[in-house]
Amino acid sequence: MQAPHALPDELTIFTASEWLPQCQAWLRASAEEAEVCEVLAVDAQAVVEIDAAGLQLLLSLSNSLEKAGRRLDLLSPSPVLSDACCALGAASLLCRPDTKEAA
Amino acid sequence: MTQESDDDIIREMLPAFLEEANEQSDALEQLMLELEADPGNQALLGALFRCAHTIKGSAGVFGLDRVVGFTHHVETLLDLMREGTIVLTPELSTLLLQSNDVIRMLVQGVHDDQIVAPQDLVLRLQQAAHMAPHSDTGQQDGSAKSVIEVFANSTTTGSVSWRVEVRFGVDTFRHGIDPLTLIAYVRSLGHIPDIVCDTPSVPTLDAIDPESCHLGLVFTLDTEASLEEITDAFKFAREDCELIITPERVHAASDAPPATQASQAAAPAARHQRTGATGGATGAGDDGGFIRVQADRLDDVINLLGELVIAGSGASALARQTQQRALMEANRHVTRLIEGIRNSTLKLRMVPIGDTFARFRRVVRDTAAELGKEVSLEIVGGETELDKAMVERIADPLMHLVRNALDHGLETAAQRQAAGKGPQGKLTLSACHEAGNVLIRIMDDGRGVQRDKVLQRAWDRGLITRGAVPSDAEILNLIFAPGFSTAEQVTNLSGRGVGMDVVRSNVEALRGSVTIASDTGQGSCIEIRLPLTLAIIDGFLVGVGQSKFILPLDSVAEVIANRSTEATFDSHGRSYFELRGQFLPLVNLRTLYALDAPPPKLSSVVVVRAGAHRYGVLVDALLGQHQTVIKPLGLMLRSLRGVSGSSILGTGEVALIFDTTSLGQLAANPQAMPSPPKLSVGATSPIDTPHLSERHP
Repeated sequence: MQAPHALPDELTIFTASEWLPQCQAWLRASAEEAEVCEVLAVDAQAVVEIDAAGLQLLLSLSNSLEKAGRRLDLLSPSPVLSDACCALGAASLLCRPDTKEAA
Repeated sequence: MTQESDDDIIREMLPAFLEEANEQSDALEQLMLELEADPGNQALLGALFRCAHTIKGSAGVFGLDRVVGFTHHVETLLDLMREGTIVLTPELSTLLLQSNDVIRMLVQGVHDDQIVAPQDLVLRLQQAAHMAPHSDTGQQDGSAKSVIEVFANSTTTGSVSWRVEVRFGVDTFRHGIDPLTLIAYVRSLGHIPDIVCDTPSVPTLDAIDPESCHLGLVFTLDTEASLEEITDAFKFAREDCELIITPERVHAASDAPPATQASQAAAPAARHQRTGATGGATGAGDDGGFIRVQADRLDDVINLLGELVIAGSGASALARQTQQRALMEANRHVTRLIEGIRNSTLKLRMVPIGDTFARFRRVVRDTAAELGKEVSLEIVGGETELDKAMVERIADPLMHLVRNALDHGLETAAQRQAAGKGPQGKLTLSACHEAGNVLIRIMDDGRGVQRDKVLQRAWDRGLITRGAVPSDAEILNLIFAPGFSTAEQVTNLSGRGVGMDVVRSNVEALRGSVTIASDTGQGSCIEIRLPLTLAIIDGFLVGVGQSKFILPLDSVAEVIANRSTEATFDSHGRSYFELRGQFLPLVNLRTLYALDAPPPKLSSVVVVRAGAHRYGVLVDALLGQHQTVIKPLGLMLRSLRGVSGSSILGTGEVALIFDTTSLGQLAANPQAMPSPPKLSVGATSPIDTPHLSERHP
């Protein structure tokens, strides 16, 4: 699948405020095309710097989507992102819950 | 950008570090002194190690290599003591105290590259820790790496599984703390087999502030590190981190660490220790959460409150004039609330005096050693609270009195034994509340004041006429006269003749008083009485003619209302009256302050207690209790005796506030006992039983 959205290279406390509107825009966009797709796919390969604040923003996006019955799909997460998710016990961000698709 | 921001954050946080490092250093000193009395106390040893460890750890974060390098040696030594490898000796204790001074010096001199730790002290620390001087010389390792090494070295038990729950505070990110880095650090302590983030607690995009932290983590940590070391890892997450660590299981068959639940708001350990230092035992307690408030903000509130109290009594007076019950009732309610706010606000400024007292442990220890005397210091009532400003300003006079007692009061062991006393002298610092005042006592069981020497010196110095022999109490009071010193041998501690008079003027500037009592050969006791606060008092309003005066309510012992006045007063308005068989001085304000209004037929006497003395004040009218906001006297009135301040009444009138001690001196007239008192007083409601037998000095 072609990812229409992509994460920036830096997702840290210094960029979190800048990226909040972008995430909100994605959320709105995904709501408009709800019938089409219940997954918001985001290209995550560019991330080279992330901290807990950046990760928290992704969790927030994921929670917002889940609340609306959709989910976040991080496509080809960079090693830095994967490591950070595992380190903070947020590996669920990386998993693709295939079961849901099957249902 | 990140680098710049890091620098900014470090620059911003440095003052907080300096303050914390100083607190830790103070705590270290107190704990060290407590340890001297109880050398095997593991809790103290643990607390000491943590102090040094915290200083070193935080200094490492700020890249203060000199502090880290030196503290490392202290920490190593303390670690060996904690393990029981090294036992505390007096020499070691002195070495550690000196090292602590150096840490303090290095911390204060962080901006000055010239300030370095004395190499000989470093060598002595290394020797004490049985380290070859060449193997680990000086000022290297500074970063977190060395901290990790310490953790690895200091393991004494086997590997334990801990369940760690941590909830970061909202300001965690803003404080420059990244939980990701923190967990990476914790990971270096051992192994984290599982970690779960409390993802549902992260708000959705519409509700989130991306710069606030909403993260909570639960993980298992298999580590050989101790509970303290794990807790220490979260130290920099500071006040706003909730941390719960519980042991899951012990892997090795060695003895397990005390498996208790350590739940604490990971605040600087120094505060626990500081309270512990004055209260005795140290232990993990809940910090209760502190907010640092700038003192001037608090002062603004107190000033406004003063105005509110004045406005409130004005409104009450107006309400009374209208005679509308509902309005009066409403006003009474407002007054009660204002009183409540007043009390709570003044409490905000109250701090226990124990911290100040505790500082003297070191002074006593070092001074006694320097003078070759054995002295034990006892601190009583350290929890007594008084205004912060007062605590700060009383520290210097206390310091002088303590040094004086050590230098002049207490004898050497040989002198004491010759006098039939135990070799160790005893110095007691005590504080308690007494009738709206704080009473601070400095007691020693030394040789006492030698009155003949004092008298001789006073003659020599021309303080009194040669040959004149005043009463005992007056001789003692000569000590407070300017330019007085009895030291046979002028030491560098005291005895320069600057001191006791300065002590007295400092105390009096705080609206306090200082007195001395002494028994030759038995010791001396200096009493300092201070008001609780400098801002507001409960006053008792009295009227003489058109003038209004306020007596501090706490000093009013009883009131004898509406008696006919028959006493004759001298030109200073002084007389005596009888109260239940005792003669007390009586002062007539009308004569004393030359008030014009004609005397009424009936007057009242307010019996005032000032220290151990009582006296009567003759007034026309008793106007009741009054919340009094103390305003300083203007320049012109500052020399007015017997008065300490002024206050504005609700009606806009000005009332003078009496200083009961100096008014008492005006009332007392030891030279001339006047003609038999005529104002005889019948049954009153006694508040205290009179035990007056002294003559008034």
